[in-house]
Amino acid sequence: MSVAATHRRELSVGAAYLALLAALVLFAPAFYQRANLRDVLVGAAPVLVAAVGMTLVILARQIDISIGSQFAICAVVAGTLAKAGLAMPIAAAGALATGAALGALNGVLVAGFGLPAIVVTLATMVGLRETLRWLTEGVWVRDLPPGFQWMGLGQDTGRFAIPGLALVVWAFAAWGLRHLAAGRAVYATGSDAEVARLTGVRPRRVVFGVFVAMGALTGLAALLSAIQFIDVQTGSGVGFELRVIAAVVVGGTSIAGGRGSLVGSLLGVLLLATAGPALTFLGSQAYWDRALQGLIILAAVAADAFGSATRWRARP
Amino acid sequence: MTYERGLALGLVLEIALFSLIGWNFFTAGNAGEIVRASAEIGLLALALTPVIVTGGIDLSVGSLLGLCAVVLGVTWRDAGWPMPVAAATAVAAGVVGGGLNAVLVARLGIPPLIVTLGTYSLFRGLAEGVTAGVKNYSDFPETFLFLGQGRIGVVPSQLLVLLAAAAFFWLMIHRMAAGRTLRAIGFAPDGARYAGVPVSRRLAAVYLLSGLCAGVAALLYVARLGQAKADAGTGFELMAITAVILGGTSIFGGRGSIGGTLLGLATLAVLQNGLRLADLPAELAGVVTAALLLAALGANRVLQGRLHR
Amino acid sequence: MKTAWRGWALSVLVLAAGACRGAGEHGQTIALMPKNKGNPYFASCRTGAEEAAKELKVRLLWDGPTETDPAKQNEVVEAWITRGVDAIAVSVENKEAISTVLRKARARGIKVLTWDADAEPDARDYFVNQATPRGIAETLAGHAARLLGGKGEFAVITASLTAANQNEWLRQLRAVLAERYPDMKLVDVRPSDDDRKRAFEETQTLLKVHPEVRVIMAIASPAVPGAAEAVKQSGRSDVRVTGLGLPNDARPYLKDGVLDSAVLWNTKDLGYLTVQAASAVASGTLKPGASSMPAGRLGAVKVEGDQVILGTPFTFTKDNVDQFNF
Repeated sequence: MSVAATHRRELSVGAAYLALLAALVLFAPAFYQRANLRDVLVGAAPVLVAAVGMTLVILARQIDISIGSQFAICAVVAGTLAKAGLAMPIAAAGALATGAALGALNGVLVAGFGLPAIVVTLATMVGLRETLRWLTEGVWVRDLPPGFQWMGLGQDTGRFAIPGLALVVWAFAAWGLRHLAAGRAVYATGSDAEVARLTGVRPRRVVFGVFVAMGALTGLAALLSAIQFIDVQTGSGVGFELRVIAAVVVGGTSIAGGRGSLVGSLLGVLLLATAGPALTFLGSQAYWDRALQGLIILAAVAADAFGSATRWRARP
Repeated sequence: MTYERGLALGLVLEIALFSLIGWNFFTAGNAGEIVRASAEIGLLALALTPVIVTGGIDLSVGSLLGLCAVVLGVTWRDAGWPMPVAAATAVAAGVVGGGLNAVLVARLGIPPLIVTLGTYSLFRGLAEGVTAGVKNYSDFPETFLFLGQGRIGVVPSQLLVLLAAAAFFWLMIHRMAAGRTLRAIGFAPDGARYAGVPVSRRLAAVYLLSGLCAGVAALLYVARLGQAKADAGTGFELMAITAVILGGTSIFGGRGSIGGTLLGLATLAVLQNGLRLADLPAELAGVVTAALLLAALGANRVLQGRLHR
Repeated sequence: MKTAWRGWALSVLVLAAGACRGAGEHGQTIALMPKNKGNPYFASCRTGAEEAAKELKVRLLWDGPTETDPAKQNEVVEAWITRGVDAIAVSVENKEAISTVLRKARARGIKVLTWDADAEPDARDYFVNQATPRGIAETLAGHAARLLGGKGEFAVITASLTAANQNEWLRQLRAVLAERYPDMKLVDVRPSDDDRKRAFEETQTLLKVHPEVRVIMAIASPAVPGAAEAVKQSGRSDVRVTGLGLPNDARPYLKDGVLDSAVLWNTKDLGYLTVQAASAVASGTLKPGASSMPAGRLGAVKVEGDQVILGTPFTFTKDNVDQFNF
């Protein structure tokens, strides 16, 4: 198969992204102010980090719709630890560890007990968020030490480091997915768990691992988001899982597992992160935003299906 | 002990518990209220059952309900059409929405999770766009409001709609030959195709029905609240899916029953109502629902003895 | 099979015993409902409500939707009607929708009040009013006008596009602008969906799409710190923020100078007064025709027709914000 064919999906997302950028050049060149580009990238960084995890999860033929609730909890943990006087690196580690633990909960239920991921994560999504609400009643974590915002690095360094770190995480994951045995194991498990097992891969471990990774990355995303502010909103992350899944799916990762790439996910994240502000720059009214975003998702997946020589199977 | 018998027993115990700790729980009036509050989600859950049995899913039903509610308001008040015509148009809008899902899933073969993720945003977005988020419609005629607020004897009017829908879906899934093919499609779509089952047509049908039910549910919703707004039905899809899964239908497809869905619906509705009457906080309902869902999955696994997929 | 039979038998026994529950209790039961529970604004109202409940020795039920689901408020009121309470007080999310069920409650002899946001007047006995939508709009417009010098462009960050309160305030705001400040232009209204980060991002975009905007008005409490942080990070010292928000959220930005003013009212007192009023109506001490009512530590509170008035909107500034903690 030619390069173009194997990477058809990434190419079409890339093309869509370029089309959007071109439209902006023509109709709203103000979009290209340095400050705006920077702000879009900083805003996209948490989504990219989570999209890395979600790509792994979906490649392994699973799904995780609970990351929004995990996000909220990890942000609150980071804030609470910082408020308790602990140093920022410890608060950050706490957020990541919390995410990993919540991911492990999902992992145990899915890999350990063999329960379907979509329903398990539906249950954890609801259960975690309601528990958090109950305990906090929505009250924000305030009066944080000044070192919380930007991890004490200051605004300029912070706004550079956040997307920078996200990109590093992405790059490492992209490299690992391709070159490490663990990466191949994820693809194998998603393609056909039974065959994978016969070739020496341990599918249950892989599945458990991707959920833990997802949780830890969600914790990192929550941290990157929280340190842009001086306090922590307890009700954050609502709808986060939809943004992340949409980005990964638009980027070409197949929901049936075993097919997709982190390059595609990066393009998906960039496309959707740009689309929001782009609509404002192009003069669209706020109340059409959601409809347009739905159309973008549908257009992306439908275009792929139209162009595909073989139909996707109706079920995994 | 089958799963459904266990579920029914659980429901009885749940009712017994709330009778004990809830104020005036075990009264005819309260039973009527439980039915009223759960009728719309019930319709959605009934329509989702065949969808999930085929191995699919429809996340867009709540948003479609909102869109149909807006269509009802616009055609009745802004366009001035007579109420029955406006109502029919709202239901037709549901069918069109379901049709969009049907085309993308059945014709283009795109995974339903993704299609309905997109239409989830699209339908809600259209409702918000048309109303600019701001407009809401009220002062509907009394005869229409009867659908959501009236009683026939002691029975709330929604119950009849719900029972009719339940009967229809039960016949379709459990008695008609076409219904058995749905399970076949859920089990092995390629196998079903080779066996001569018109898979695309069946899939299209279940998504169209799902849209139709969203439209009817929109009528019940607006009649019950007396108001049509773009945010109608927010979160309903998750509740409906929870009811279906709680009822024993497998998310992987191939297995499911209408009776189970009704029991699952009842369990959730009784839970929410009972907790309120027992002066317990609303968050507890979410936590208990999550626990019930996991318990249901676990119980199903044990009873079926299936290998991990 | 045996287990099943035992289960059924036990249930029947329990049902028989439990069906008796429904008798009344000593003391009043007052049921208060916020618009939604996971909201710090309502959390602070609750502390005041509980204070009053303890003082008056009434049983306070506090429940409501956890998310903004338009139908849930109706269901909670229905449950309270079934349960039997002495008074219901609701902060209304959907005026037309809730009025149906509130009328039903009144028909059953339950006293009905609204607080924070009103229903239709014939659906409730009293409305505990902290500020009229018109009053709120006038105060906000006044601040924007002061900051703009009477002419210029400003933008609004609202809650969600369907939020009933905010939409009412916007309607009044546009009316006030047309009447009093024709040289001020509202260029755009963007939603935050009650998410601080979203308010932050929308403000960032607004500042670049409309560089002539000099005031951002954030009319949802999470939006105030979100918008203020965006303006602060942008370095645009020519842009100021005003809006509707909690003093604790506003404090750091008021001190910074980015946030010029935050309008609100004493939420604790609002909760406190609501419970006082509900109890008074339920026991008959507050009757139609009254012009004031004794409200515990608030003293004699003004009653105008069917409205119990807490006061006028209060503006928090950097000079007075430290006196408040909510």
